[in-house]
Amino acid sequence: MKTSVNKFLLTLILMSLFVLAACGGGETGEDDNGNQATEEEDRIYTIDDFNQVKTHEDGAEAIDGGVLNFGLVSDTAFEGTLNFNFYTGNPDVEIINWFDESLLAIDENYAYTQDGAATFEVDEDEGSMTFTIRDNVNWHDGEPVTAEDWLFSYEVIGHPDYDGIRYGSMFTIIEGMEAYNNEEADTISGIEVLDEKTLKITYDQFTPSLLASGVWAYAMPKHLFEDIPVADMSSHDLVRRNPVGMGPFKVDSIVPGESVTYVKNEDYWRGEPNLDGVTLRVVNPNVVVQSLRNGQIDLVNQFPADQYPENAEMSNVEFLASIDTAYTYIGFKLGTWDEEEREVVMDPDAKMADVELRRAMWHAVDNQTVGDRFYNGLRWNATTLIPPSHPDYHDETIEAPLYDVELANTILDEAGYEDVTGDGYREDPEGNELVINFASMSGGDTAEPLARYYIQSWDAIGLNVQLVEGRLMEFNNFYDRVEADDAAIDIYQGAWGVGSDVDPTGLYGRNAGFNYTRYASERNDELLAEGLSEEAFDESYRQDVYSEWQEYMVENIPAFPTLYRARLVAVNDRVQNYAVNFQAGHDIYRYELAVTQEDANAAE
Amino acid sequence: MWKFIVRRLLIALPQILLLSVLVFLMAQMMPGDALSGLIDPNIDPAAIEAQRERLGLNDPWHIQYVDWITGVVTEGDLGRSFRYKMDVTEIIGQRLTNTFWLSLVTLIFTYLIAIPLGITSGRYNDTFRDQMITGYTYVGFATPLFIFALVALWILGFQFGWFPTGGSVSPGLTPGTFEYFLSRLHHLILPALSMALITTVNTVQYLRSEIIDTKQKDFIITARAKGASESRVYNRHILRNSLLPIAAFFGFEITGLIGGTIFVETIYSYPGMGQLFVESINLRDYSVVTAVVLLLGIASILGALLSDIILSLVDPRIRIK
Repeated sequence: MKTSVNKFLLTLILMSLFVLAACGGGETGEDDNGNQATEEEDRIYTIDDFNQVKTHEDGAEAIDGGVLNFGLVSDTAFEGTLNFNFYTGNPDVEIINWFDESLLAIDENYAYTQDGAATFEVDEDEGSMTFTIRDNVNWHDGEPVTAEDWLFSYEVIGHPDYDGIRYGSMFTIIEGMEAYNNEEADTISGIEVLDEKTLKITYDQFTPSLLASGVWAYAMPKHLFEDIPVADMSSHDLVRRNPVGMGPFKVDSIVPGESVTYVKNEDYWRGEPNLDGVTLRVVNPNVVVQSLRNGQIDLVNQFPADQYPENAEMSNVEFLASIDTAYTYIGFKLGTWDEEEREVVMDPDAKMADVELRRAMWHAVDNQTVGDRFYNGLRWNATTLIPPSHPDYHDETIEAPLYDVELANTILDEAGYEDVTGDGYREDPEGNELVINFASMSGGDTAEPLARYYIQSWDAIGLNVQLVEGRLMEFNNFYDRVEADDAAIDIYQGAWGVGSDVDPTGLYGRNAGFNYTRYASERNDELLAEGLSEEAFDESYRQDVYSEWQEYMVENIPAFPTLYRARLVAVNDRVQNYAVNFQAGHDIYRYELAVTQEDANAAE
Repeated sequence: MWKFIVRRLLIALPQILLLSVLVFLMAQMMPGDALSGLIDPNIDPAAIEAQRERLGLNDPWHIQYVDWITGVVTEGDLGRSFRYKMDVTEIIGQRLTNTFWLSLVTLIFTYLIAIPLGITSGRYNDTFRDQMITGYTYVGFATPLFIFALVALWILGFQFGWFPTGGSVSPGLTPGTFEYFLSRLHHLILPALSMALITTVNTVQYLRSEIIDTKQKDFIITARAKGASESRVYNRHILRNSLLPIAAFFGFEITGLIGGTIFVETIYSYPGMGQLFVESINLRDYSVVTAVVLLLGIASILGALLSDIILSLVDPRIRIK
């Protein structure tokens, strides 16, 4: 017995030696990689380093046909609501975009052009738009796309039984829409079908927003959906399993939640697609890099930016980037939301009500360094509340407060925030203790250090900023409390996407529920209204209005933007004619996608 | 016997009911709902509010609970998923088949590994072979499943490329064909194997200690004294008696698998119940969360019941009169 115990001990010791040795090996390995990683992690990239388009600059000839593997990066299965009228989330729309499309094309500023499947004419006096669908635009089953189909979309979304989230101001401004929605009318009086291919929509309020992605431009095959009750549409097979669109590819088969195969639509109105088909797969963000490396997927809809520095040199792919239509910002709680009146009520006694205090806080943070250090330059210092993703409207010339601790201190001194008690923190002008409660979301590796950085920066100018309840908040909790104007929150860090139209009323208007800072002023109302006025149909006038608005927000600081961000995608070498998510303004369309060889290259 | 089963089932009913209340309450207490954080300037907040109202998200919890439980009891209707916009029963139906196959293959692997290893290790206890096997079980105990699954995915899936790295089937195959079946199986092996290699260590240990225990019993000495061959002693006398706890643990094994699938399905992007569960919690799809927890709870309760029944079948001594 004793010997066996000894033996057992011996084995254990041997095993632990083994394990230790393995660990040791691992550590040295890590060291090597670690050094390399630090080097790579120190590199700062800028958005200008990236192309937005991959064409055939490398000279290789595209082959006929071929199947492209598209990776939909998501840690959740896709919902499978495959219709523009019903989808909610991002994964679904990525799938829809391959087989269906908007009838109207847009340019880089998200304004409508005449290059789409339909053209339009505007009658400003009457407040109407007349759309003409091209003759060769057909559904995948061969039936032509008609004005009736387009009208049908409006009838479905406006229907009282409709269970999606699209019905909103985009629809209510159409003449007679609300009557139809309330079941007071059987038809929408503002939408007329003039002939098979012509549709006329008359609006109660005709604004420049309408010309910038303000029209619901998605038709629905009426001949297929006609007999299905609206309430059952979203769960019907035509939305779930056999969706029919008018895009360059047709859905061939769907494995719910994980993959979709498409074949080319030879009858596509722009021309026959180069590829034979596309295979779309959901790829977990954890395995994106490996899947790209071994050529399993050619393309991803979004490459996780935090994994970029380590993989920048991947030999078989090219990284493309464009400016995302989103920004991160610090918001100051300045009032509350009046549910009855559906409007913002400013509180003149709010802790953050003093604009000088807010300005000093903006001066105190060094966002350029934050972008470089935390995001390797893939996010960078933001200046105004209209991001450069809208190139014609983002005003670069505006001088937003930059990192300047001395100036921040001077501003606070002059505004009367002084350290009366001598505890190292400033008190408010009345001499009361000033503790600013900061809400920030958890999630990702950078959330915590980033929040700490901001707190330290404000500490450096003598402001006592504390995380609400001492910790980061979970996503749902955060938005619940910010939305409910929780008195425990004075400032918060949030991020959001801007609309395709530049008009910021939905985020900063007096009647916008999303206006979480609860800031409103008459001048702000005026400027927002001017941006939607008749004069604003003149583009340069509209640009001036929004420049002024950006300037106004930089002066009044209900929120200050911290970072703009890049949206990265990775594309295998064999792929040609791809623009980041086929964003507008590049004149490259999905049907032009091509590959240069049958199989994708793996990384060396 | 029947009386016992019926009695156990009757006890299970209030358990399930209590579970459903708890689950429902806890789901309600989570901050946020399916629509929070949905900030899109293209969407009207009023439309979101209208949705909340329509979905009954603004009602107090007991009203929501009563609505829900009446649906479940009277029509077997588990509600409608907000996120998927379809009936929960339908989504769960899709996912349940995936998880069922994954669990089945895992179980097969678990026993395929456990029984030979357990027998070898018990029969030749304290030899080198035994020490190797015991060593493996210790490593198995110490390795978290999610790490092991990731490593297995990386090595076998990406480095060697032997197995697909995600999903439940290759895109574009027609259900029902032999090719489809093969592809399903191919996708199952890696997740099932990585789960089995970790969960099997319990069973190996039970079997080992049970065999060591049994082989010192008096009736084994008797069997040897009667001149039974060594293989007969092991196969007929010892093994049969030692399989008892294994059989008993079968039910609990099922419960354990449920926990395991949550990790494995997420790592391998395998659309089953585990993945659905995690996603639905994150996205606050209450109707799905409650339904999944309820089903998993029922599975655990039934698993325990199954264990008891098996136990009473194989071991007449503990049969309840």
